[in-house]
Amino acid sequence: MKNAIRVMNELKEKGLIKDYAIGGAIAALRWTEPFFTQDLDVFIILEEEADERGFIVLSPIYEYLKERGHVWKGHWIMMEGIPVDIFPADPLEKEAVAEAEEIEYEGVKTKVLTPEYLIALFLRAGRDKDWRKIQMLLEQCEIDSERLQRILSQYGLCEKFRDFEDKRYGR
Amino acid sequence: MAYARNLEILRINVMEDEQKIVIGDRVLRREDLFQGEERARRERAKLPFEEKIEILVHLQRLAYGWGRKRDVIIWEI
Repeated sequence: MKNAIRVMNELKEKGLIKDYAIGGAIAALRWTEPFFTQDLDVFIILEEEADERGFIVLSPIYEYLKERGHVWKGHWIMMEGIPVDIFPADPLEKEAVAEAEEIEYEGVKTKVLTPEYLIALFLRAGRDKDWRKIQMLLEQCEIDSERLQRILSQYGLCEKFRDFEDKRYGR
Repeated sequence: MAYARNLEILRINVMEDEQKIVIGDRVLRREDLFQGEERARRERAKLPFEEKIEILVHLQRLAYGWGRKRDVIIWEI
């Protein structure tokens, strides 16, 4: 995993991306007990938002990775033995990346989304497996409630959170 | 009829709550066991990130081998 993080840092150093942070299950696992997952989700902020047609262009990133021998496997790009999903960040994800926690993994610097943003993102995705992760985050790590409330109301997720609480905790 | 059934369910639940479990010289209730499990989960949540990733790779190996999920990719860490 250390080498996959190095590759992401390289993309940043080369100016192919402005910033990135680890999200999804691996970010959740940073804050909860270990659980099974398959891939590494990475949210990226691009140097240029969109081209003149309004398309988000990831081709230079994938070309760069391909040149360095990172191959596709299904929807993943294999980085040093790790299946990685790269997502260009939307407004909520951009804020999450900007506010992500800087950590070191085996001496290599990286950023991981914080529990409050992860809850918001899992809530928005809304699948069963996302709800399980929200429950784990709420029960196993410290949550800044004010921060969470602010994010949820800013991105119109309060209703979804109430629904989650009703169904999971019968509140 | 429904009242009697609900009363019976309540009685069984109360019995289960009060049921004592003996482990060595400790006497525990079911509730104690559940609380203990919750405590252990919160403790595991505090493990170093690197250690959690190692555990994840063990889980992937387990899914691939024992669980016979041949499409699982075992991470190279």
